[in-house]
Amino acid sequence: MIEVVRIEKAYRKFQAVRGISFEVRPGEVYGLLGPNGAGKTTTLRMLATLLRPTAGSARVAGFDVVRQSLEVRRNLGIVNGGMKVYDKLTGYEVLDFFGSFYDLWGPRLKERIGWVADLLHIEQTVLNKQVKDMSTGMQQKIVIARAILHQPQVLLLDEATAGLDVFARRALLDFVKQYAGLGKTLVYSTHVMSEAEEVCDRVGFIHQGLLVYEGRLQEALALGSGNLERAFIRRLEGAA
Amino acid sequence: MNEILMIARKELLSVVRERRVLFTTLILPILIMPLLMFGPILLFGSAARQTQESVQKVGVVGVPAAVLEQLRKARVEPVEIAKPQEAVQNREVEAALVFEKDKYTLYGRLSGGATQSALVVEKVQGALRAYKDQLVAERLRARGIGTEVLEPFRLETKDASREQERAAGLFAFLIPYFLVLFIQMGGMPVAVDATAGEKEKGTLEALLAAPVPLIQILLGKGLAVFVMSLLSTLAALTGLLLGGAVFRNLFAAQLRAVQDGENPAQLGGALALDPLGYLSMLLTGVLFALLIIAIMISLGLYARSFKEAQSYMSPLMLVMIIPILFLQFSDFLKLQDWYFTLPFINVVLALDALVKGSATALQLVITWLSTLLFAGMALYLAYRNFQREDVVFRN
Repeated sequence: MIEVVRIEKAYRKFQAVRGISFEVRPGEVYGLLGPNGAGKTTTLRMLATLLRPTAGSARVAGFDVVRQSLEVRRNLGIVNGGMKVYDKLTGYEVLDFFGSFYDLWGPRLKERIGWVADLLHIEQTVLNKQVKDMSTGMQQKIVIARAILHQPQVLLLDEATAGLDVFARRALLDFVKQYAGLGKTLVYSTHVMSEAEEVCDRVGFIHQGLLVYEGRLQEALALGSGNLERAFIRRLEGAA
Repeated sequence: MNEILMIARKELLSVVRERRVLFTTLILPILIMPLLMFGPILLFGSAARQTQESVQKVGVVGVPAAVLEQLRKARVEPVEIAKPQEAVQNREVEAALVFEKDKYTLYGRLSGGATQSALVVEKVQGALRAYKDQLVAERLRARGIGTEVLEPFRLETKDASREQERAAGLFAFLIPYFLVLFIQMGGMPVAVDATAGEKEKGTLEALLAAPVPLIQILLGKGLAVFVMSLLSTLAALTGLLLGGAVFRNLFAAQLRAVQDGENPAQLGGALALDPLGYLSMLLTGVLFALLIIAIMISLGLYARSFKEAQSYMSPLMLVMIIPILFLQFSDFLKLQDWYFTLPFINVVLALDALVKGSATALQLVITWLSTLLFAGMALYLAYRNFQREDVVFRN
């Protein structure tokens, strides 16, 4: 569960996020949609406790992102397009490394790696390769595997398909639906509206740090005569 | 604690798999140290011996026959020339001797360190001294005076250095220099990779999103840098001590010739410290490592990329040369205890004093406490940097 209340982020004179509020329930995929520079990444980084809000508040899995940052991180996974994992380590070592922070050791870790490998279609032999020797798609799968190894209640995906080929992108979108099916809370941030149409239950349009629209996917599609991109543009024109 | 060890292990695994870094920080020091220490001395010794044994041309102008005879005895071949200075400059002869109105002028290429010409000049000077002694002895004899009048007393110079200082030889200067250098050089690749490297590769964000307090991430990275610094320093010292011993065995005759020849050179040495002395050196080195590592991590965290981090850390190497230079002239200064509070300088002074066996307890305690304080301040600065969003996401 995610609850965001009038959250803001300012960098000196620049206001990156201007009082955004939304909620995401368990089992739901919430699409945070907007062009590059709209404030999506900043919002997700605040939810992941990587950035400190300058105003407002947010709770992730019931924990406050400022006062209970470690608890938030224990219950959260984050993946963004630019995120990488250590290329000199093998896939297994990467998962072992990150697993250790969530008390995953020995047989429990092995079992969890087996689960994540099945979910993301990663062959066990690939896990013995160094990350630098893997394809881009497989590297991104390791990034995702790292983020969900501890089966977080909340998963934040920020432009997670950036740079992926068609197969890896397909696998990721399938995974998003599967993971939400496990009763997890997901935020899917992207500027590619077609992806959101496929995986999101509800969407929020963000522009220049403001949430200019929020609603169920079907409602948003109706606003754009069946097209999310058109809905986004119409909504912006309406707001102007 | 577990998280710190896991982070350190991850950093070290990444380094171990980078063969280039492994070679330059661990293997190269072992190979290069004996070469650095003994190579130039052996080369110079061999060249000097060859110069002594072979015959070189020396230009002469107006030199009497008796002196020419002395020169031939000293294994040089006098050659009549017209322009002595030019002949030496153009390397037609190694040296030139001009006799004019009771005065000998000797030309040689004496700038630029050890030159063959300088060795030939010494040969000619030796020949002239022998000739002068011969003339003086003859004139005294003609007046019925014995040559003992020239030596009314004897002068003997004895080395009053401490035993440790005598035993240390060149090590007295080299140990502080190499300790300081290798602690920094060994840790730098890991410090850069673990900070700016993580930013540039895009791996830092995933680590920061893990439920690990920042201070533990920082300490884990610091521990990895510390281990590499230590290993690199040990590799260098191994090269210096073991490699030196191997070198001495392999080239025993040549080294003896250099040490006992006409131009004796000081070679190597050995540490002669008691266990407390070694422990004190270790503690001083460890505290210095903490300080330099905290500074490097702080700079690395601030930098956006490998290149930027290296450009911040490289000048640190130059800064470290200042105390080394200071050390060369420290003998001319009356060392005050407060010098041991100065960052970097105190470590070099303390190591130097330890090697020479002259360190006092007060000086060591001041050095350790002040270095610990500076290391704590640098670590706090690194932590503050790590807390700053504009620094961590500055890429």
